[in-house]
Amino acid sequence: MTDIEEKLRERARQLLESEEVTEVIAWGAGRFVNQTTPLFISEPAQADEIVFNDYCINILAKYAFTEQGAGRVAVAVRGCEARGINRMLADNQIKREQLFLLGIPCGGMKERLSGETLDRCKSCTHPNPVVYDEMLGEEPEGAFETIVASQTARFAEVEAVEAMRREQRREHFDEAFSRCIRCYACREVCPVCTCRECFVDQQRAGWQGKQNNLNENRFYNLTRVFHIADRCVECGECARACPMELPLMEVNRKMIKDLNTLFAAGEEGLTSELDNALGRYDTGDVEEFM
Amino acid sequence: MLLKREHLDELLNSLSKRARVYLPARRDDTTTSCFALYQQVGRQAFIDASLSLVNTTMPPKDLLFPQTQKMYRYGVDAEGSAWIDPIHDADAVVVFGLRSCDMRSIECMDDVFLTKGYDDEFYGARRALLTTVAIGCTEVAETCFCDSMGLDPNTAPAADIQLNALTDGSGWLVNAQTERGRAALANWQEYLQQEGEKREPSSPLEPAPSLVRSACTLKVNAEGIKEKLDELYEHPLWDEIAKKCITCGTCTFVCPTCHCFDISQENRMKEGERFRCWDSCMFSAYTEMAGHHNPRASRAARVRQRFMHKLCFFEERYGKSLCVGCGRCVEKCPVALDITVLIDRIAALSAASPAALAASPAPSSAAIEGGVAHGAN
Ligand code: SF4
Ligand code: SF4
Ligand code: SF4
Ligand code: SF4
Repeated sequence: MTDIEEKLRERARQLLESEEVTEVIAWGAGRFVNQTTPLFISEPAQADEIVFNDYCINILAKYAFTEQGAGRVAVAVRGCEARGINRMLADNQIKREQLFLLGIPCGGMKERLSGETLDRCKSCTHPNPVVYDEMLGEEPEGAFETIVASQTARFAEVEAVEAMRREQRREHFDEAFSRCIRCYACREVCPVCTCRECFVDQQRAGWQGKQNNLNENRFYNLTRVFHIADRCVECGECARACPMELPLMEVNRKMIKDLNTLFAAGEEGLTSELDNALGRYDTGDVEEFM
Repeated sequence: MLLKREHLDELLNSLSKRARVYLPARRDDTTTSCFALYQQVGRQAFIDASLSLVNTTMPPKDLLFPQTQKMYRYGVDAEGSAWIDPIHDADAVVVFGLRSCDMRSIECMDDVFLTKGYDDEFYGARRALLTTVAIGCTEVAETCFCDSMGLDPNTAPAADIQLNALTDGSGWLVNAQTERGRAALANWQEYLQQEGEKREPSSPLEPAPSLVRSACTLKVNAEGIKEKLDELYEHPLWDEIAKKCITCGTCTFVCPTCHCFDISQENRMKEGERFRCWDSCMFSAYTEMAGHHNPRASRAARVRQRFMHKLCFFEERYGKSLCVGCGRCVEKCPVALDITVLIDRIAALSAASPAALAASPAPSSAAIEGGVAHGAN
């Protein structure tokens, strides 16, 4: 950890000094113990503000999108960030040559108050970055077995929901959706949500009513998941960001599980190829609905 | 007067016969909490929750200013004439267990909705029927900083009734602080005891109650923040802090004093319903005008607006801070864009060099005013 922090600072300083990049996006200290916050630096002298520890819970991928136009930008990337970056590259939302990716092998992150490993890290299948320009630190062999659960754990929550009776399931989701305050944090952090104008904001079309009630909340949450269905990189940042703790990964992964069954879709964001299940047609696809 | 812990339930039951009683409750399976209707809260959950919870995730503002407030229904009848039916849905409400920050937030909203020649009928109707019962904090969150914003976590002077926990955990000291509070206490009498009253003729006189006192651990330097911010409108710091803001609505929706709204409608065939609902200055659509002109198109402009409104503009208009130090946004902002860090930073800036405050580099302000949107925002 401290080793990676050292290297991050050193490379950030060098990259800014040599003007290879105009900005470095990493993490800095928050006000509280065990709290970090996204950090943007443009001066070599600021490199020592960079922090890397078990509490770097913010996934920085989306900033590669919002910081476009700032010149070439260096971004610290772990598995989740890297997959998000691949996603945005595949969707032609960012340019690879505008990024310098500082790869970090990741051992999982912890929640500030409880000190427990984040849910998303428990089911992470790619803790190491799948795309980078430079790796900071060894890619540890087998270091993550303790933290990385198997494919089964990846769908464990979905299976639990599938096992519920219909009414029970409805109650489960109604309860969750009625909690939603429609702050749209889930959308804003998502590397898939890069539409110039979200359906939510198309007020003239009026897809999404502005009232907060179960119907509208359900509509928002289900439409969001349909829109990201075959492109979600399972980074879990939406669920982490949600102030009302909605079980967003349950719905995201239900879609993914079904796509896996129907189209043998794999995991998204492993490459920057545009190859998502609903984005192409194959004569072998099941056509139950025809 | 004293309210014994064992009488709390009876009291709430009895109050519930006359009014809707809301109190802090934790939501199942989450760490989030809100003010919930007493009858809907598992009694045990409430007893545990209300007394040990730090301030709730969602503030009580929904009781006065609902996230969706229906205003009127309208339509066209069979003869082709238009009709309008106003909706009046205010009920008598007792909100039990408000924290000092929550009570001050109601004072702020009163200023907005009921003063300076504006009298909001929807807010006013609910406010007139609201009894506020504050409770001195027995525990403070890591993120609470109300005592740096001029509040006292132990007392909310504007509340109708103030409760303070006794150190021995046996109950609360009860004080009526307003006319409404004194009238309301009439309904509490049979559940209260006089201080020093003998429970049994044989038991010794109870000593004067000793009360739990709390103080915030998080301290910020908010002194003169308004005057400092007056000089900072064009400062490059807005551009800088806005980089990490994702402009979601979290901070404004969890804030007890944020009160921006939009008016919209739901139409079905020949009738419809007009409502107003919470909106957020962090959303670009909030200020978007016809023809897509947007005076606050950039994230930096929106971030500046929120902090300026909280710490500067409101003070100027109403003489108090619109940030009550509840710490909800500090806890919930997904990227830890922390208002307490900003407050201290502004204090440090002006201490370092008062002249630096006035620095207004042209590129920064141009970027903000020109409304150059970042990314998809
Ligand atoms: S982040 Fe959570 S509360 Fe906010 S809109 Fe998304 S699901 Fe709703
Ligand atoms: S939907 Fe959630 S888990 Fe999927 S890519 Fe977006 S933020 Fe990550
Ligand atoms: S300050 Fe935080 S909570 Fe508020 S809009 Fe920005 S990211 Fe969201
Ligand atoms: S700005 Fe933040 S700390 Fe201040 S009153 Fe609002 S939610 Fe509470």
